[in-house]
Amino acid sequence: MVWKILLFLVMTAVIIGAFVTASPMNPAISVGSPDAYRIFYFHVPQAWVASLSFLVAMYYSIRYLQTRRMAFDIRAAAANRLGLFFAVIATVTGSIFAKMTWGEFWNWSEIREVSIFLLMVIYGAYFALRSAVADPDKRASLSAVTSILFAMAAIFLIFVLPRMYAEFSQHPSDSVVDEEGQITMGRTVALIFFSSLAAFTALYVWMYRLTIRVDETGHNRTLEGD
Amino acid sequence: MPSGALNWVGSVLAVTAKDIRSEFRTRYALNAILMFALVTLTVISFGLGLLNPSKEILAALFWIILFFAAMSGLAHAFVREEESGTSLVLKLSCPGTVVFFGKMIFNLILLGVLAILIVPLFIILLKIIPADWGIFLLALIPGIIGLAGATTIVAAVVSQATVKGALFTVLSFPILLPLLVAVIEITEVAFLGGTWDEIKAPLQLLIAYDVVMTTLSVMLFDFVWRQ
Repeated sequence: MVWKILLFLVMTAVIIGAFVTASPMNPAISVGSPDAYRIFYFHVPQAWVASLSFLVAMYYSIRYLQTRRMAFDIRAAAANRLGLFFAVIATVTGSIFAKMTWGEFWNWSEIREVSIFLLMVIYGAYFALRSAVADPDKRASLSAVTSILFAMAAIFLIFVLPRMYAEFSQHPSDSVVDEEGQITMGRTVALIFFSSLAAFTALYVWMYRLTIRVDETGHNRTLEGD
Repeated sequence: MPSGALNWVGSVLAVTAKDIRSEFRTRYALNAILMFALVTLTVISFGLGLLNPSKEILAALFWIILFFAAMSGLAHAFVREEESGTSLVLKLSCPGTVVFFGKMIFNLILLGVLAILIVPLFIILLKIIPADWGIFLLALIPGIIGLAGATTIVAAVVSQATVKGALFTVLSFPILLPLLVAVIEITEVAFLGGTWDEIKAPLQLLIAYDVVMTTLSVMLFDFVWRQ
């Protein structure tokens, strides 16, 4: 209970802080309205949570194939569902920002947009598969196998491809860390950003646990033949 | 154990031969793939009419035709086993890897036939001749291998589901996206007539993709096949 109140306070502080402090924009490297860059405090944590969710889903998919325990399948499905939710939010916020700053809602030569799009397609395909298999055990192992294949394709697209085509991204890659891995943000910006990152992650964990509880209850009721 | 290895190859080819024989009885997959490719190609050729599309666009169109044609028939290798109820016998008579490679080679042959038909038609109807045939084949052959390697396991997954056709395309697309990016890049160079340096990066990606995806599919195949 205490941590929920704490989360509420931190989230409130982040929202207020994001709008009353100076813009996080670095005029030396970025274009557009400085106020638009305030989205950085919300957009990046959302994209981070969406990617985190993908890793969680992957972990539980592998665990399921190792153990064949239904609990792991429920966890993987829950992580995928929340991942889809955060990926959509991150895409919408990012797209609005892109329109304001770079002039277009969507740009295929931007690798981060391609990768978040791929992430959404993967989540969508995952649920298309789940809804097409009736038998729970079969559904669990088929979706786990497909998840792992998706993960490998995503690794190729997100990590290998951009390295091969150097000038692929407009995203200010040095906004969080520079080449040496040092944090380049000002102190206020860093404080708000990392608080927001922590708050979004905590919010994710909370939502994730709720989802699992609901799904496990549903699963147990089906087992009882209710 | 050379005789063991030989035995293994023999069983793989036996599965492929069995598939080819039953394919020739119905010609379902072959007809679907070839007709789909032909129809798409004609529609594109008609649709473009007197327009003069750039060679970059033609490179992308070529792979779009190949991708969707492959999607229309490659799932059949496993769907047939489920529909005719023969998958259980196959499961009992040989190990999973043998089935996987047998089906993959069968799909590879289907795609090979498709390429042999579609490449000349594409050249005739869309009035383009690859400036560099060597580079073109370097896109085509590893591209087809990757297509067969990555979709064979998806076909096995889809054959267990209720809506097979649409699901196969939906599941294959994210998996094949890196492959498509790489092959379109190489085909562009082949059509425009570039140097070998230009295709080094995408070719590395393509070959790495083929090896990694096929290996991963073999590793995961038993989880799908032996329920």
